[in-house]
Formats: sequence, C-alpha cells, structure tokens
Amino acid sequence: MKVSTTLRALGFTVAAALAPLAASQAQAAGTLTTAIALDPGSWDPIDTFVVDWSSAANNIFDGLTARGADMKLKPGLATSWEFLDNNSRIRFKLRENVKFHNGEPFNAEAVKFTFDRLLGDEGKKGPQQSNYTSIDHVEVVDANTVDFIMKQPDPVLLTKLAGYGAMIVPPQYIKEKGDDYFNSHPVGTGPFKFVSYEPKVSLTLEAFPEHWGGAPKLDKLVFRMIAEANTQIAELQAGRIDVATLIPFGLAPTVEKDPKLSLISITGPTVVALRLNTKNGITKDVNVRKALIMGIDRDAIIKAVLLGHGKPIASFQADLSFGYDPNLKPLPFDLAKAKQMLQQAGVQAGAPVKIDFRGNDATFREVAQAAAGFLQALGLKASLQPYETPVLLNDIIPNGKTDEAWHNAWGGWTFDYDNTAYLMYHSGEKWNPYDKDPKLDAMLEKQRSIYDVKEREKILQEIARYVADQALEIPLYNQNTIYGVNKRVKNFDAPADRRFRFTETSVE
Amino acid sequence: MAGFILKRLLQAVFVILAVTLIVAFAIRLSGDPAVMLAGGSNITEKDLQNIRQALGLERPFYVQYLDFLRGVLVGDFGRSFMGGTPVSLLISKALPATLLLAFASLLISIVLSVPLGVYAAVQRGRWPDQLIRILSLVGLSFPNFWLAIMLVLFFSITLGILPPSGMEGPESFVMPALTMGIILTATNVRLVRTSMLETLSQQYIMVARSKGLKDWVVLYKHALRNSAIPLVTYIGLQFGSLIGGIVIVERVFNWPGMGTLAFDAISARDYPVLQGSITVLALFIVLINLLVDIAYGLIDPRIRTE
Repeated sequence: MKVSTTLRALGFTVAAALAPLAASQAQAAGTLTTAIALDPGSWDPIDTFVVDWSSAANNIFDGLTARGADMKLKPGLATSWEFLDNNSRIRFKLRENVKFHNGEPFNAEAVKFTFDRLLGDEGKKGPQQSNYTSIDHVEVVDANTVDFIMKQPDPVLLTKLAGYGAMIVPPQYIKEKGDDYFNSHPVGTGPFKFVSYEPKVSLTLEAFPEHWGGAPKLDKLVFRMIAEANTQIAELQAGRIDVATLIPFGLAPTVEKDPKLSLISITGPTVVALRLNTKNGITKDVNVRKALIMGIDRDAIIKAVLLGHGKPIASFQADLSFGYDPNLKPLPFDLAKAKQMLQQAGVQAGAPVKIDFRGNDATFREVAQAAAGFLQALGLKASLQPYETPVLLNDIIPNGKTDEAWHNAWGGWTFDYDNTAYLMYHSGEKWNPYDKDPKLDAMLEKQRSIYDVKEREKILQEIARYVADQALEIPLYNQNTIYGVNKRVKNFDAPADRRFRFTETSVE
Repeated sequence: MAGFILKRLLQAVFVILAVTLIVAFAIRLSGDPAVMLAGGSNITEKDLQNIRQALGLERPFYVQYLDFLRGVLVGDFGRSFMGGTPVSLLISKALPATLLLAFASLLISIVLSVPLGVYAAVQRGRWPDQLIRILSLVGLSFPNFWLAIMLVLFFSITLGILPPSGMEGPESFVMPALTMGIILTATNVRLVRTSMLETLSQQYIMVARSKGLKDWVVLYKHALRNSAIPLVTYIGLQFGSLIGGIVIVERVFNWPGMGTLAFDAISARDYPVLQGSITVLALFIVLINLLVDIAYGLIDPRIRTE
C-alpha cells in the first residue's frame, strides 16, 4: 500500500512535469485511426497479398464489383453484368460520371488498362496475377462497356473482382508518374484519397466528397503500422487509436473489461484443422482417422484456448463460405467410442501420433498441446513437433515429410470453398502430398466449370461430405476475427475479412 | 602510426565482408520470399517462379551476393521485396531514429550511473553502497520488455501522459530511453564504482584531501576525471551493443528504427532490407571499434607495435 502510494505520488510528479508535452492525442474530431500490423510497402493493388493492404486500400480503390461487411456481392464500378457466348464472355456496364481522385475519368479504357497491367509483365512480378489467370483479356466495347474474354470458366471471378489485384487504377496517372511513384502515392476512385505515407509508420487519407457512393462521414483516416499486439492494445487503451486489428484471444478480456472500449468478435475466414497422413503411420486407416476426430473434444478447445472466440467446423471452411453445408455436422466427441474404434482397428496402445505445427503460432501451440492431451487419453503416444512456418509450408508438407498429423490454417478472402478444396485435396497440389483420389479430383474439376450457383454449391457440399467421410483431416475450428474498438466510433461495420470500408463510419 | 591504422582498416573491411556474407547466406537458408509475398494464397509454382525471377532470386547465390556488394560500394542497397521501396530510403529514416534513441538511452544511463556510482564508492561497504549494488543486480536481471510493458501500463494507461508507442515528439522518447537507460545503468553503476574506488586509493587524492579541498571538488574534479578514461572507452563500445540490443525495445514501442526494420525484414524474408540494415549496423559498430582502437593506439604506443 505504502509503496503504491509512493509510486503514484512519483508518477503524478512526473506527470506534472511532462503535462505540457502530452498534447498529441489522436482523438481529433472527424479522424479515425486504425492500427494495422504490417506495412505492405506498396499501395499498388498488384504488388501485394497482405490483408493489411486491403484494410487500408479498400478505402482508396473500387473494383467492378463490391462486397460489404455482410459478405454479399453488389455492384461497384460496374452497375450490371451478363454472361455471353456460352459464358466465355462477360459483359460489364460501367458506372458513368465517375472520376479518379486526380480528376481523371473512369471509363472502359481504365478497366482495360488495369487488367492489361495485371495480366501483363508488370503483374507477373507480383503475387496477384495468379488469381486472375482465368481472364484472357479485356475488350473495350464502348466508353462505358467492357467485355472480359475468359480463358477458362471461373465461378469465383465476380467475387475476385471486388478486391485486391482487380481494383481499378488510373491509366494516365500511372503512365505519367510511373509505377514507383504510384506505389507510394496511390490514386483510385474510392471514398478516401491519399494524403501521405510514411513507410513503416503510417498512411493518411482524407475524404473524397465526390465519390459516386456519396461523401464519407469522416474527414480523415489514419492507418498506423503496429506489429506488436500488446502495443496495439496499449494504444487503444490510451485512446490514441480507434480500431485495433491485432488482438490475440488471450488479450480479448483486457479489451472487454475496459469501459471505453468494445470488443467485436465475429465469424472470420480462418479455419484450422489437423490434416492426417493417409500414407504412413496409424492414420493410414480411415477408421483410425475417424477415431482420432472423435477422441478430441473440439468444443473444449474452443472454450479453453480460444476463450470462446470460434466455433466447431465439419469441413475446412467457415459458415460464411460458399459451399458451406449447414446439414453437415462434425463427428461428435466420444472418447469411449473412439477407444473402441482404435481397438477394432488393431491399434496398439502407445502407438505414436506426432503433430507438426507452425512454431511461431502461440495460440495453436496451446491447441496442439490440448489435442495431444486428448490423444494421450486415447492411449496413444502423442507428441508435438514445432517447425518454422516457411519450412513447414515449403518443405515438410509439399515434400510429404510430415508426421501423422499436421497443422493447416487457411483463410481465403473470397469465402469460396472452391479455392480451399482444390488446393487441399486435388492430386498433385502442394498442400496434398499423399492423396490421389480420382473421384475427388473429378468433383473438384467439375465445379470449376459451372457458373450455375445452385449446382456448383451442391457439388462443393458433396466434396465437403466426401472429405469428411474419408476423414482426411480433423476439422478443429473456425476462429473469429476480433477487433478492439473505441466506443466513440459509430456505425462501424465490422468486416469478417478485415477489408474495411469507412464510408458510413463516424466518430464522436 | 599509418601502418597501424591501415592494418586496423583492413581488419574492419574483412569483418564487414564476413558479416554481410554470413547474413546473406543465413537468411537464404530458410523460407521463400515469393511465398511470403503471396501470403499462402492460391498460387502456382509457375507464378512463384515469375516472382522469384522479378526479385532476382533465380540467380546463383554468389551472383546475388556480388551484386549486393557492388551496390553497397555505391550506396545502393537495392529495393525492398515488399513493395519495392529503396532500402537506402528506409535506412535513411530508420537510422536517425535508432541513433537518437541510443543517445538518449546513453544520456539517461550516464546521468543516473555517475552520481550513483560515485556515491556508492564513497560509501563503500556501508548500506547505501549495498543498496545501490543490489539495485543494480535487480536492474541487470530485468528483462527489458517487461520493464517496457510496466512503464507503458503506468505512464500511458494509468496516468495517460505518455504515448505508448511511436516516435512523435520529445515525450515519446521518455519510456523507450528509460527502458534502455535503466538496463545500461545497472552495468555502468558498477563500473563507475570500481573505477572510482581505484582512483580514490591513489596518492594524489590523498594529497588533494590533505590540501583541505572540499569533498565534492576532490570527487568530481580530481577523482572522476581520472576514472573517466576507462568509462569513456567502455561507453563507446557499449554504444555498439546498445544498438544491437535495441531491437526488442523498438518493437515494444513500435519505434521506427533499425531494429524494427531488421525484424520485419526477417519475418518477411525481405533479403535486401535485412542485408542493408545489418550492413549499416555492422559498419557502425566496426567504425566505433576502429575509432576506439585508433584512440588507444594514439594514447598507448605499446598497442601500435602489437
């Protein structure tokens, strides 16, 4: 008590001495400050695949389509579209009287320029091109109409046009100023325009009142790059940032308890599973794999490790994902049944199950420890093998050097099971080192050529059911996206995929 | 003397070469920048190859390394893999931030450790001396990130007077410099004390005292000056390790310095940024050592002929 009084007194003395210095608070009227973890280094849509890029740049740029926080696809810079010539041509009607922030007009030429650039040599240098290779080229029909000529069908294309590499860029500006300048001085048609960028420190945007969707309510957006979760939360508590995007589950209660802050925990894109080795070890046997699923209490893990910020899954996708089947339920936790199944399969007590995981993932380390605990209870010899993430992803998994189980975490922004399922289960894909299943391959290939939404959804659901029947993985959970938000922020539409759009948001 | 300096310079060049070679080699042992850039997304091997080619990673290691060395000679460290920002631009912003923080930390440590060390020496064996020694032991055993977090909790969250992170104005220096400063002080206090004790036992101090000079004049004018020589050397060398140790503190306080730059570069496998920042830091440390060596050589002729 004595010590704390002394400390407090000392603190106040220092406080009094420093008071004149502490003037710079971020609570400026009309300014919203968001902390992102990483600096993508370039604001050009084709240069990066960092989610933090989107958190900021989704306010600078528009795509032909748009997707809001409700995850529903809606018109963006294109007002309508139709499929022609047996789906090999998609015609987009463009929004008229739209201007870029520099005054340049938005038109069919800008769309063509954007995709020529993305699909050409400039795009080749970056990670975005590969998402759009189903497009052969873009043709200008008239000033406000473009045709996308498709190389192959791509049912996810309309979603992909709502973000990342498909964001429309200004042709004149880029031709005049060059790519380097554009990287650090982005210009788009979005609701906020670029003001300044200090690498590794912050990006500042201001309202673009002439935006086609109406003027934003805020005057200014500031994005600060803060890589450390503790630091983001300290800034949030000190009232110097309004939105924190990096909140580990363990720190969620800190935000929850603060009367000035609210914790927003919503369904996110990230799903986590333990993929099983179908080639070696006891996991070769499908019944053993099923027994392992039933032997792990996934609800308990969600409650204890994620502190409830997640939900169980039956297939490797979130319930927001296209292809999700509400009728597919995960195998229940049943220790007795699991033991019996193992016995029937002839598994000896003490048979090894080793879990390979990304060692820098602190949350998953706890999950893996819990899972290993459950496996021990089944009478197995469970152990953990942490790897450096790039080593696990680039060597151990693709080269088939895994142990019985390995950590898979996945979170595609498109929320479409196609991408996930294809990469995870198709023969020859690097995420699928062991399985070669012609039936599964056929289903995966078939859905890629179908634009009919209902039919494709049906096939994706079949795939999920088939994978669950084969017990290729232990589906663990879909983890929530968590934000810490200052209560002065109003109308904050929290997006599951961290692609903010602050048009309607305001601050008190 | 010229021969001595030349020899030291050659050594310095060798050290720099070795450091850059080790860093360039080590970071390539694990991870693929192209994959990091793609963020684990839907990307084919062919696309990855395109990215690698654009980044110049398809070339043999020695070509990449020689290319880097050539760049260093003309002050061009290449461009960041993350967005293509010139590395020299990133360093030109980060280096002053780190140096300012390092100076501030050193200043705090000197202001704290000199009076405390002198006092401990004077009070040798008595309780203030014991207390200072215990405190310095406590200070040495502090993990600096823990101290940093405690400072943030108290000054930023409880009292709300200091910004918890960033480099915005003079007030943002207080906590990071204090964190580093306190930890340096723990070592420096002991150094000042020992050095002071040695000086105080010299005959000229007795002479000064017997002349009837005031205590503080004896201590600060005669004794401290003489015991300052080893201190200055030590602090000069400390500056090097200080910059090395600043990484964690920079990270906690989101300080836009060399530590943050290098840390992020490792996470993203951003070879040019990592190579550039480590080279600059190594140059710095080597330069300081070189100056200390040369200064020694000037003072003590025996070292020259070594």
